[in-house]
Amino acid sequence: MALITISRQSGSLGDELAEYLSERLACPMVTRDYALNNFFGDLPEGVTARLNESAKFFLNEIPGTGHTYRDVIIEKLNETADSYKDGDLIVLGLGGFYVLGGRKQAVNIRVFASEETRVSRIARKYNISSDEAASTLAIGDRKHKRFVSILYDKDTSSTDLYDLAFNSDSLSVEEMGAAVLSLCEKHDIRTSISETTRNDESIDHQSETPVFKNATEEEFARILNMYNIEWMYEPKTFPIEWDSEGNIKMAFSPDFYLPKFDLYLELTTMDQKYVTKKNKKLRMVKELYPGVNVKIVYKRDFQELVERLRAFGG
Amino acid sequence: MSFVLDDSIEIKRTVYDSNTLQEKAHELGQQITGDYKGKELVIVGVIKGALYFFSDLTRAVDLPIMIDMIGFGNIPDTTKKTGAVKITKDINIDISGKHVIIAEDVIRTGLTTAYLTSYLESKGPADIAICTMFFNPDRLLIPIPVKYYGFEIDDSWLLGYGMDRNEIGRNLPYVAELPKKEQ
Repeated sequence: MALITISRQSGSLGDELAEYLSERLACPMVTRDYALNNFFGDLPEGVTARLNESAKFFLNEIPGTGHTYRDVIIEKLNETADSYKDGDLIVLGLGGFYVLGGRKQAVNIRVFASEETRVSRIARKYNISSDEAASTLAIGDRKHKRFVSILYDKDTSSTDLYDLAFNSDSLSVEEMGAAVLSLCEKHDIRTSISETTRNDESIDHQSETPVFKNATEEEFARILNMYNIEWMYEPKTFPIEWDSEGNIKMAFSPDFYLPKFDLYLELTTMDQKYVTKKNKKLRMVKELYPGVNVKIVYKRDFQELVERLRAFGG
Repeated sequence: MSFVLDDSIEIKRTVYDSNTLQEKAHELGQQITGDYKGKELVIVGVIKGALYFFSDLTRAVDLPIMIDMIGFGNIPDTTKKTGAVKITKDINIDISGKHVIIAEDVIRTGLTTAYLTSYLESKGPADIAICTMFFNPDRLLIPIPVKYYGFEIDDSWLLGYGMDRNEIGRNLPYVAELPKKEQ
């Protein structure tokens, strides 16, 4: 489930990237044309042209509604995103990053390129001279900038508005697309884990970077990397015992989560006598959180695995 | 009683003799024949370990199957202890839309099989099942679709019928157990 907003400079391949992603994800794409044709119902003659010409016109009230064109853009973008919350959606331009960027599932992309590259692309695409392309580019850039600045009081060139920015000077649409799809997949896993914590007592504590507690965990992460198995480190805590006031007395935070296998793994390097407590915790997690798949990797298992990797390679 | 295979490898005992292995491979082949009748089936053997099992198994399947082999290796990384696993020999057959069985010699943690399954999944087969001669379910870390297996094994270190110790012993027609202390 991906909500991708794409902000782009003219001639940066941002439009092509949006089309590529829409095709790969087989999902709809909201563009400026789509918005003008579908968000406002039947517009009086000349209004569409005015909206295309002037960003300021979006601040005018739509006769008899009490709402501006800007209000409707925001409302309709949110409505569309709501209706696709269980699927994928791409929003190209329209200040999508501002309107929808704060949503958990949103991935905000910016595509830019050097002026030289963009002029060359536009000249080739429309079969015009470099001077004409440069002039077209200047008008396009100004319009994009003014639209976002006037409607949302934001500067499109601020990098803090985006999760991922591409300089497409030496990147293909496929390369950028692959990076966006990979990011969306990982982001979806993170947000899904956050979502599940709403439905039970578990606590989301996904960190930005894993800080391993010991060398065994670090080695195990390396082994998973070696086999190209995606993992997350301690993404979730499962409370398993509470006091009479509802405060958490005991909790269990499995070391690794393997999203592809929906599997939590807990490593234990302790002596057997301490493992009993961990086994008890594991049983309680299984009782309190049915459907959660957790396994303990015992010290012996881990040593055996490392020995086998050394001796047999797998 | 134990004996020494060469200067470095001591064998503790023979666990499965050649006849037992052949019979089991034949039995698995017959099961596959029944399950995949009328389906487009590709059996992919994992080199080098599954070489002999793959050879016995595929000849016991009485269907017009396609066969291929895949290889992977642990590419050492000078900056890390464990390196990375890479495909060293890819399959040549187009498996998209076809039923695939991965033939393994032994599955313990399931890490390598999960890696290969994931890799082959990217080629768009109809489905992937796993057939292994030896399987240790107690050590399985990763849930993988093991549909057929010959023998359930414990933590013993085994050699022969494709399984090696430092590349030695694969060609033994039987399976032997190595003493664990032997390094």
